[in-house]
Amino acid sequence: MGTDRYAYCSPLRRMDPLGKGFVSLLASVVCLCCGMAAVGLFTMLLMGGLTILWGGQKLRTFGHFMKIPLAFLAIGSLTMVVQAYPPESALLVGIPVGDMLWGVDRAGLWEGASMFCRALGVVASMYFLALTTPVVDLTQGLRRLHVPALMVELMELIYRFIFTLTDGADRIRVAQKSRLGYGSARRSIDDVGVLASMVFLRAWRQGDRVYAALESRGYTGALTTLARDYESGKPCFWAAAGVCAAQLGIFALERWLL
Amino acid sequence: MEGTEYAIEARDLTYAYEDGTLALDGVNLNARRGKVTGILGGNGAGKSTLFLNLNGVLRPKRGTVLVDGAPVRYDKKGLMDLRRRVGIVFQDPDDQLFSADVYRDISFGPVNLGLGAEEVRRRVAWAMERTGVTALRDKPTHALSYGQKKRVAIAGVLAMEPQVVILDEPTAGLDPQGVGEIMRLITELRDGLGITFLIATHDMDIVPLYCDRAYLLSGGKVTGEGTVEELLTQPELLRENHLRLPRIAHLMEILRDVDGLDADRSAATISAARREIKRILGTE
Repeated sequence: MGTDRYAYCSPLRRMDPLGKGFVSLLASVVCLCCGMAAVGLFTMLLMGGLTILWGGQKLRTFGHFMKIPLAFLAIGSLTMVVQAYPPESALLVGIPVGDMLWGVDRAGLWEGASMFCRALGVVASMYFLALTTPVVDLTQGLRRLHVPALMVELMELIYRFIFTLTDGADRIRVAQKSRLGYGSARRSIDDVGVLASMVFLRAWRQGDRVYAALESRGYTGALTTLARDYESGKPCFWAAAGVCAAQLGIFALERWLL
Repeated sequence: MEGTEYAIEARDLTYAYEDGTLALDGVNLNARRGKVTGILGGNGAGKSTLFLNLNGVLRPKRGTVLVDGAPVRYDKKGLMDLRRRVGIVFQDPDDQLFSADVYRDISFGPVNLGLGAEEVRRRVAWAMERTGVTALRDKPTHALSYGQKKRVAIAGVLAMEPQVVILDEPTAGLDPQGVGEIMRLITELRDGLGITFLIATHDMDIVPLYCDRAYLLSGGKVTGEGTVEELLTQPELLRENHLRLPRIAHLMEILRDVDGLDADRSAATISAARREIKRILGTE
């Protein structure tokens, strides 16, 4: 399930998206730049805490979303940890393959762990934004950051019509299945082809109708709308400063201890 | 005085598609101010094309559209003025609601009119209040029910403060309760704000309840017109146009033609039929 559903329920939903974006971005950048496992883990806890306590999400929701990228992160880190070494290297574990030794040494393990933890920190920071800010507010924020209007409008339209397209695709699929579609692997390929072409055709026709409807409401080339007033993003700047200070504190502590 | 009695008028309106097919052929019709005018016709009768012509999205090959008695000008300013005064609510709200945010979608029309932020906010709040969607303002469009989307679509048009609102099949896809709610909303807006409504429908049962006058459209031509009572006394004409009598009027027709009772066949609503039956039974 998408994060949007949860973002709509967040008490921070009406807060200025740029403020929330700033918290996420600053926390991510500091977490990446510090390059230490402890800072990464700490950032994850801190941003998780913010998302739960301030952003009004359940621990379960946050945990659920953190699990999603875990497999990717694990595989990514593993390829950094396991490497080929010359035969007489001192490794933690290793097996000889050909005339090389494949395994894990202390430095590699440390680096992999640090990468993994930093990635967790960045992912958690981004979840703070994603779980408190619906897509429509994010795009409104991008508009204010002077991202080209064409790009923002495309993003908004794609986001809006993804739902009607998937609804339509679901209905076609049910109709196909009810007439014994997808019965064999070969049939499935045919049926998916028909489904894709039908969805495309429908989207094309709906595009025409949407355009007519826009024109009838005075569209002259810009999808300009007025969003509801946002609450001030000021608390976000305090939050960002707090998170940043804590991250740097942990960074200094880790440096001092090691 | 002509020009003040009719909010919108079409004279000899003719429209052809690019391949030359005539979609509208010399259509003459008018909608009285503050009334609900029905446009009745089967599928493919040309209703949607007519509406897009009335709002300037399509430009007629021949003929004129008059709003408030003045012919429409097709320059940029004239078109914007036309779209401000004549709004269309499309059949499928998913075609009309382009924004995933209810509030922003409703604000689209007023923003296009070049109004200031304060005025846009006032109008959006007002339109949401009138259509009963204020509670939905923080919801994403895709989370709304079909009936709620329809109301939001009406709010989006209402926020432009039009004089004429055209509704294409307003009851299509709604459950019976939804039909009642939408039609009550239309009556409220007509009575409260004096808005003129044009309603395309083939749902014959709502016609005697909500329409003041009606036109029959078939093959791009007007094939009949009159008050609803007048049209309902011509069942053959309705059937030729792929329509039928409302159920209650049909019952009256059977009572009259099969059972030989002296029933008034223009009695097409429950209350009219009740009066008529009591009259026949001699209890009134």
